[in-house]
Parts: sequence; structure tokens; C-alpha cells
Amino acid sequence: MTRPILMGAVAYDPKVVPIWDGIREYLKEAGPGMDYVLFSNYEAQVDALISGFIDIAWNTNLAYVRTHRRTDGHCRALAMRDTDVDYSSVIVVRKDAGMNTLADLRGRTLALGSRDSGHAAILPLYFLKRQDIDAQRELKLLRFDLDVGKHGDTGASESAVLNAVASGQADAGAVGDPFWAKALEERAVDGEKVRLLWNTPAYHHCNFTALESLEESRFEPWVEALLRMDYNDSKHRPLLDMEGLKRWLPAQTEGYRTLFEAVDEQGLEL
Amino acid sequence: MTRPLSIMNVKAQYDGEDLGASEGLLVAVARLLDPLAEGEALELISENPTVSDDLRIWCRRAGHRFAGATGENGKSILVVERGRVRRTLADRAEWGIRMPMRGETIDMRDWQVGRHAAIEDEAPSGGSLAPRNADIEEGAASIEFSIRKRTDVWANAISELYEQATSSQWVGARDIPWQALAPLDDEVERAVCQIMTFLAENEYAALYVPARFIGQIHPHFTEAALFLSTVMVDEARHIEVFTKRALANGGGLGIASASTQLSLASLLEPRDFSTASFLLSVLGEGTFLDLLAFLEDHAPERATREICRRARQDETRHVKFGISHAKYAIEADANAARRFGSAVEARAEFLKSVSGVGALIEESLIIYSGGGMSPSSLRAGTKRVAELYETMHTNRVKRLTAAGFGIDQADHMSRLHTPNFM
Repeated sequence: MTRPILMGAVAYDPKVVPIWDGIREYLKEAGPGMDYVLFSNYEAQVDALISGFIDIAWNTNLAYVRTHRRTDGHCRALAMRDTDVDYSSVIVVRKDAGMNTLADLRGRTLALGSRDSGHAAILPLYFLKRQDIDAQRELKLLRFDLDVGKHGDTGASESAVLNAVASGQADAGAVGDPFWAKALEERAVDGEKVRLLWNTPAYHHCNFTALESLEESRFEPWVEALLRMDYNDSKHRPLLDMEGLKRWLPAQTEGYRTLFEAVDEQGLEL
Repeated sequence: MTRPLSIMNVKAQYDGEDLGASEGLLVAVARLLDPLAEGEALELISENPTVSDDLRIWCRRAGHRFAGATGENGKSILVVERGRVRRTLADRAEWGIRMPMRGETIDMRDWQVGRHAAIEDEAPSGGSLAPRNADIEEGAASIEFSIRKRTDVWANAISELYEQATSSQWVGARDIPWQALAPLDDEVERAVCQIMTFLAENEYAALYVPARFIGQIHPHFTEAALFLSTVMVDEARHIEVFTKRALANGGGLGIASASTQLSLASLLEPRDFSTASFLLSVLGEGTFLDLLAFLEDHAPERATREICRRARQDETRHVKFGISHAKYAIEADANAARRFGSAVEARAEFLKSVSGVGALIEESLIIYSGGGMSPSSLRAGTKRVAELYETMHTNRVKRLTAAGFGIDQADHMSRLHTPNFM
């Protein structure tokens, strides 16, 4: 009998406790079992993964890149949410600011989320650059560095971005597309005032990361049990809703390439 | 991979004109996707330039597939293919149900239609705060209700009694001719105040007994819960007007006697609703009908007469329910009659220290009905009160036989009933 997986997650919200308590309970019934510990920030979690204190880390894309860099690639992504596969960012603008193309952003104020948020800061800047907009030079940046260490998970900085655009403090802003979809669905965004200007290409977001040294016999049953969770099952649904997915998928990694490049290009220290 | 839009299995269409995603368009999209099967598609026409991106992003979150867009002249045709995710883990809502009209009204007696029609003998074990037989979403919280058997709470006339109750509501502040109050003879006023205090005491019991059970009734038997809530409103109003009358004309609250309090406390004892209802409504409130009629007949002024008349009308409904429920319970289970009988015996044993209604009340009733404390008044009042006791016994026996007891048993039970009336 091997020791059950010890997983790490970052406590970005009180609901993290019921989420992982629920999944722990599910995994106990499903067979492989699991326990988890919570960290206050992703840097500490990545350290704990590399030191061997935890077996698997529930990582943001930036935490995955950090792990990859620190281990020279001797790590692997195990699984991710359906919503992590084709994540993207959106640039939203105030409707009355007269901006119809990305080129119209030049000289304007762009609101960004936390500096360690892949989706609300790092990747929007990267993808704008691919569109010939050098935001750091050509735009005024209004940064909301809230909850640094949590990689934008709390959504606090995205709320601030949206408010800044709606109130006229910024002409445009960058948020993750799930945040935008939620704002649309909950009618939290005033369609008369703020609209989507541009949607970046897709990239990957979170994944469960393990070191290469974790034996397959330990993580495979664990991943397989996760993949069996069903959104149409009333016991699983509340957990999946809280974690923001409809189903778990085997990990893919090609979608992290852009973030690796962005980290280099922006000279971010990891 | 994206299939050509022309071969999509389009099963629903919507023209969103220039409506934005956050302006309500997603409401239409979500509702039109709901009835589709996995793989079937909704075709959306839109003149709003940001809808395409917004919808694609929303689809990912909602678990549907954005199958693509074509467009020309500022109009786009967007296709969304339904994913396998069910938004609500329940069957479809009902549709096409239509209660019959009763004249110009919609009456509870006619609401056993559609899913709501079936009333089981035993309610489902998990309860929900929802209309009877409404489809409950999987994963909904399950609430335990201890009253789950129809025989424990039902009465055949219950819907009719409910409709009578709601259409007969009145307002204590407005519907009593309070302006008719004028100074009375002190002894008469003192008697009125003591009687009003006594009536209010009894109505507290009549309020708190159903209150103890109503939260235990499975909503499957919703008619019972709703009817008992009208009883509670009635009793609240009776407490209000009896108390107001005691306070309104120069007297004040009388005494709450130990024997009355003991008698009323014993009404809170039974742990099952049927027994509690039998003691309270058939015997207690039944006896009260005769008391209220007596007080109405001999009232010293119009306000008190109207209070007693209106209270008696309400109590008549409560007694009808009590008899109808006792009959229902006895017909379903012969042991119920024995249980009721034992409860009456046990209560009599418990109350054996109580030998009469108590001097304060009896004297008040004599002065009240005789019209004062003069010798002739007292003679008349004494005779009337003796007749009242006789009437109370005769009518109790009638009510008990209506509930299903034999005449001898009814006579025996009536004699055991508390001399404290309720």
C-alpha cells in the first residue's frame, strides 16, 4: 500500500477548503485517496513541491512555468480543467472612448491585473506585442497589484480593472475570459458602457504539476479518479462549480509555450 | 473540429437583433439551449459586433460548443451546439396544466391537477420546501419532517375549510364597533375584563398548540399546513381583540388563575398532532363555541357582542376541522379512537385537582349574564350559567358522536372533559 498523494493548493478564497475537502472525500470513496495542504502563495507551494514536501501542486500557469524552470523541465503536468485548455484574455474598452481596433490603444491607458497574473497582466502584454503594440512603451499602464503571490486567482485585480474601465479611470483593460464570461452572464458589466475589443489567442491555465520522480503507479489512479468526476452528478456538481470546470482532462502542455516566452521577454524573475 | 455550419443539426433559432450578451441575450441563448439534446444546435442571428466573441467565450464557461459564425452586411449567423452538461438536474417543468374555474374564482378544492394531484398516504422520506410533487433538482437539501402520514394530519373538508378561512378574515382594529364602548356598571366591567382575560389565556393555547406541529408537517400535505396557519392567524386576532377589550373600557387585565393555567398547560402535552387536535379542537374549542354563544347572547354592549360573534365564527371552522380530522383518523385506524379515549382519561387524571371552572370565572359569568350584582341579576345569572354547563355537555356529546364515537362513550368522555372549558 503506497502512501496517498499529498497535494498542495493555494488558499486564494475561503471556498478552497470545501473544494478540496470535497474532492478528498470523493477520492477516498473512489479509491486512491488524497490529503492536501494549503499555501498562502504559489512561490511557497512550488518550493514545497521541489523539496518533496508535497507530491502534486495545483498550479497556475505561472507556477507551472516556475516549476519547469527551477527543475530544468524535470516535472510533468498531470491533469487540468476543461476550462484551462483554451483559456484566453480579453481586452475590454469603454464604448465611448472611440476605440475600434487594437491600434487605437496607442497613447491610451490600459488597466492590468496583478503583475503575477498570467491572464490579466503577463499574457495580455505578450499578445499585444505580437500585434505590434508595445504596451510598456506606447501605452500608459494602470496596474492593480492586488493579492500578489496568488497569481490573479482571487479576481480582485480583474474587478478593479473592469471598474477602472467602466468609471473612465482607464480607457481599456485586460481580464481573463472566464472573468469576462461571468460578468456577462451575471450582467455585472454594463453593456452600454464596456465592450470587448479583442480576444487573445488561447493558452493553457492551471494544471496539477508533479516532479518527474513521482511514480506513475502513484499518480495514475489519482488522475483517473479525477477524470471520472461528472458534472451531471449532483454530488460532484457543487465541487466542480466552485472550482470552475465541467470536467477534468488529461494535461496538455503546448499551450504554455507563450507564457515561457512572455516570462523571458518581460524579464520576470521566477 | 468545426463542421460546416450547413450540416449542423439546428433545432432552434433566435434573432437577437442588436442585443448585447450582457443585455439579456444570454438569457435567450441559455433558455433555448435547455430543451435541446446534446449535439443539437441553436442558430442565432445578431447585428451586434461583439456578440460573436462574447458568445464564444461564454460557451466555454457554460459547457457548450461555439460552432462558428458566418456573416455579411453587419449581420452574423452564430451557431451554438449544446454540450452534454445539464443546467438543472431535474426533469422538465410542467406545462399545459389548467385548474378549472369555480364561478369566477380559482378554488383550492380544484387544485389537485397535474403533478400536484397525487396525494400519497405517506409522504416521501426526504422532504423539500416545495409544492407537492414539484420536480426537485438532484442534490437539493433534504429536510426531515416527522408528520409524514396522511392519517396523522388530514381532514376531508380541509380545502373547503381553508377557502372559508381566508375569505372570512377580519380586522381586529376595524371590524369591532369599538366606538360603541361606554362606561358600564363597575361589577359588570370587572366581570367582562376577567372573562376577556380568561378567553385570551385559552387562545394562547389554541395558538401555541398548532404552532408546535406546523413545522413538522411534510409539505406534501400542504393543505393541512396552510389551514393550520389560518388557525394561528385567527387565534392571534382573538388574543388581540380579547386583550384590547379588557384594556379599553376602564377595567384592565384580570387574573390568570392557577387552575386555568394547569388545564391549558396539559394541552401542550400530547406529542402527536391527532391527539393534540382532538383535545384542543373537538373538546376544547367545541366547548368554547357554547361559551362564546352565551357571551354573545348576554353581552353588555355591542363591541363585546361582536368580538364574541366573530370569534365564534372562526372557532366553528376550527371545530369542524378537529371533528373532520378525528373522523378521518378513526376511520383509517381503529386504535386512534382508543388513543383519544386514553388521552381524555389521562388528562382528567392530571387535572383531578381542578374541580370547576374556578370561582373568579364562574362568578364573572353569573354577573355578566345576569347583568350585575343585584339579587335579581344574580338569580338570573346563576340559572343561566347552570344551563350553559348543560348545553356544553349536550353539544360535546354531539360533536364526539360526529367524530365517530358511540353515544355512551361520548357521554363518558364529555363528563371527563376539563371543567375549565378548554
